[in-house]
Parts: sequence; structure tokens; C-alpha cells
Amino acid sequence: MTLRIGSAEGFYGDNVLSALPMITGRHVDVVCFEALAELTLAILQKDKLKDPSRGYTFDLALIAQKILPEAFARNIPLISNGGGLNPVGAAQMIHETATKLGLKGLKIAAITGDDVMPRLEELHEKGETFPHIETGNPLNVSEYPIANANVYMGAQPIVEALKNGANMIVTGRVADPCLYLAPMIWRYGWSWEDWDKLASGIIAGHLLECTAQVVGGNSLAVIDTLDARDLSKLGYPIAHVEADGSFTLTKTPNTGGIVTVNTVKEQLLYEIHDPANYITPDVIADFTTLSLTQDGENRVKVANVTGKPRPEKLKLNFGRLEGYMRELIFTVGYPHAWQKLDQLKTMISETWANLPIQRTEYHLLGIDSLFGGLAPRPTDPLELVVRVMFTAKDETTLKTAVRLLMGNGLSGAAGMSISGTTIGADPRIILGLFPTLINRDHIQPSITYWEV
Amino acid sequence: MTRRVVDLAFGRSGDKGNVSNISVIARTPEAYQTLKAILTPERVKAHLGELVQGRVVRYELDNIEALNFVCYDALDGGGTRSLRIDPLGKSLAGAVLYMELD
Repeated sequence: MTLRIGSAEGFYGDNVLSALPMITGRHVDVVCFEALAELTLAILQKDKLKDPSRGYTFDLALIAQKILPEAFARNIPLISNGGGLNPVGAAQMIHETATKLGLKGLKIAAITGDDVMPRLEELHEKGETFPHIETGNPLNVSEYPIANANVYMGAQPIVEALKNGANMIVTGRVADPCLYLAPMIWRYGWSWEDWDKLASGIIAGHLLECTAQVVGGNSLAVIDTLDARDLSKLGYPIAHVEADGSFTLTKTPNTGGIVTVNTVKEQLLYEIHDPANYITPDVIADFTTLSLTQDGENRVKVANVTGKPRPEKLKLNFGRLEGYMRELIFTVGYPHAWQKLDQLKTMISETWANLPIQRTEYHLLGIDSLFGGLAPRPTDPLELVVRVMFTAKDETTLKTAVRLLMGNGLSGAAGMSISGTTIGADPRIILGLFPTLINRDHIQPSITYWEV
Repeated sequence: MTRRVVDLAFGRSGDKGNVSNISVIARTPEAYQTLKAILTPERVKAHLGELVQGRVVRYELDNIEALNFVCYDALDGGGTRSLRIDPLGKSLAGAVLYMELD
């Protein structure tokens, strides 16, 4: 029998309530929530520093309150990596909510083992030097404060939790498509070395993991065919997976959106590098052999996927606190707009001459802010909108920079204006990524269960 | 009238760290052959200019008639390091679709 997997979250803050019509309409057998973009864990670290019981995504509270009761009543397991830096804390919160809601018999699983922050010294002693994935330079731990260090884990612990009857599974950094692969292995009992089937499952996961982006969101392919009114209420995607690994991508019935071969192609190539070697913890998937067929309205059949053995090493991302940035937006108008812009730039550099500002960048909104030098520059423009971005290692420098600049407000170029909301804004933290690889043997996932 | 890549293709861009990947998906089989001949990685790199500081690698997907351009050092540091108004390069596909064909 076909396994129907729904996807109701593609980033922290996505519309998770899109799971409800999937569940109440009995259109799915399992729903996955993928909450972790590359830097989400570093952002969650800020919450955890303020309150050690936090560090998971707020969306999980909404999922526990509104979605879990409906899913549990229909025996539909929910899987989320929104546990972030604190899957155990998330599971405890869900347990508390489920107890209040009287969901008797509910089983929650928390999957940990991805967070190697407390193990850095031990791993170093075991020979890990954390070379940068691109440059090969080893991580210098004293260069910047490290916010988080999480390994991309595979589907295996989720499969085990499903086998043990978990209804709600929260994990830390499990690789996005592996969340979706797990229920397929659970249902069909695929071997961990059946590379073609595993790769097909990964591609299903890859197509599902950005929710709206495969049903008409962020789409140029259907810009002329999709009703713009649909964009605020797209029905999130569902994959119907067969035992042989092939699958049909579709969406929640009776909702907005569209699934065509072209929306599938757009998402297939989203955020991938070498299409013949899409590396995940469980398998290397090859996108260059598959076939796509429109199989009725809003149904695309994906078949003939091939795969290669999983990689020896796992990816590990460090998030680092590299400094702060600040934004100010100025306008100058006719006449002499270009000359006024030069006056503004000179005034800024003179005002900040003695401050430890690291970078200052000027972008002209509407002219070169997206495509740099591709755009023609107007000779005598009626208006110029300039976005000034500047950075420093500390927040105080940025606050001083704004105060000094405002002090020169009446000395500025003729008719110059500044966007008021940008004056009052706070500096934003700069989180940098440092990606590396780590030996698989050094990572052991573990599962903790709670029952209501 | 100037013919541009957008007349033959659509596409989408995404990010991984400081790397941007830009897909160019042909509207017809004939368009795919034309794009394959015209859109060399060297031409794309030259067109994108200062936007891409590193190399551009092209991958071909004959099975779905699409090209994938992987652009290194293309997002001003990437993610939250970038000072661009589009730090993730969501709009960068548009820059390639704007390329002239002739």
C-alpha cells in the first residue's frame, strides 16, 4: 500500500497549520516538519543562552497544541527536527501539553547526538581537526566565539523511534531530506544498502522539504498560470511513495497551488550542487537518471532514481558569533543627486574615521542592490535611495557610529532624508558558518521516550 | 528586440553558505540545445561580474533539460554575513535570465 507523506514546514516560522487539512482530510499517513535552515541552530542558541529550557523552535508549541491531537486521534505520526539544540526540552514541553490535553497513550521520542559542542576537546583528542570543507583550513577555536556545533545525522534513529511506536518525534540536526526518508524505511523495510530506493526517498524528501516551493511558491514556472490569490493559501505538498521507491508528488486536495513537471523541476534543482552526487548522511543521490511525468492534475510521477553508497564522513556545521551589522537608509533627490551621494559618503567616512568599523557598503536600492553592475546607471536621476550597511566586532561601536552621524544631520547634503525606522533599529548579530566533516563513528544518536 | 535567456528558460536560485546555485530550466527541447551551446560557465561568470568572486561550475541534466550553475564566493560571505539586501541570492537566477542570447 502507498505511503503518503505530508510536509508542513520548510523553515522555522513556516505555516505549520497547513498540516491540519492534510490530517483531518485523511490525506496522509505521516507528516514531517523541517525547521532547520543552515543558521537556525545558531539563532536558537541565543534563546538557549537566555533560558536553558529553550533552544527549540516555537513552532513546536503550536504543533503540540493544535496539530498533535488531530494526528494522534488518526494514528498519524509527526516528525520534526525543530527540537534544534534542545530536543529533550522540546519533548518535555510536548509531554506537558499532551498531558493537559489528555492524549492518553501518546508516545514522544527525543533524538539527540548531533550536538558536539560539549565534545569538542574529546573529538580533537580522537584526531578531528575540523578542516573547512572548502578551504581546508582547520577551525581556529579562538578566532570567534562558537555558538553551536551540530552534525547532520541520518534517518536511522527516526526509523527506530517509529518502530518503537512513537507518535511524535523531535530531533536536533537531522539532514532535511532524511526526515522524510525515515518513514519510508519504516514502512517498507528497505535495506540500508539499497542505494537506488534510498536515493529515491531522498529526492522525495528534497522535493517536500521546502513545502510551498513545489506547489507554486517562489515559482517562475507558473507565474502566468497560478492565481496570485492562491499564494496566501497554498496547499502544502504530499508524496505518495511506492515500495519500489518511485513516488508521485501532489498536494493537499481542495487547496490553492499547482503541481506540474515544471514546479517539480524548479524545486529539484533548488540548493543542489553536483546533480549526480547529492550527498546526504544515508546515500548519495543521482538526479541525472530520473524521469518526470505529469500523471493527472497536480500529480507528477518521479521514477528511475539511482543512488550510490553513503559517504564515509558526516557534515558538521559550526555557527560562530562574528560581530554585528547595522543598516541606515538615506534618500537624496534632484538636482545633483549623484554629487549629493558623494557628499554623504564622504561625510560618513570622515565621521567614522576614528571608529573600529570593519566594513561599510553602499547599495543603491532600485539601481544596483540586486544585480550589481548589470544595471545601467541613470545620468541625472530624480532620486537615489542608498542603503548603508556597516559592521563592527561590538554593538557599542555601531551605536556610537549612528549617534555621531545623526549629530551631523543638519550638515548633510541638500534635501537629504533618512528612513526613521532605520535610525531606531538595533544592531543585528553576524552569525558565520564554518562547515567541516567528521568521522561517522564519532557520532552515536540516542533516543529518549516519554509516555502520556 | 533583444532576445534574452528568459525567452528560452525559467530558473530559481538558492544558497549553501557562500555558494549560490542557479538553475536554468529550458522551456523546450530545442531551447535546451541552444542554452547548452550558449551558456558556457565562462560566459555566465563574465556576465555576473562582481556578484561572483569565485569560480562558476556548470552541470548538465539532459534528463530534465536543465542546467545548474554553481557559483562560488557569490553571496558576500553568505547567510547572515552578507551585507547585500538579498543575502541569500534568491533573485540571482534573474541575473542569468537577463543575459542576452545574441
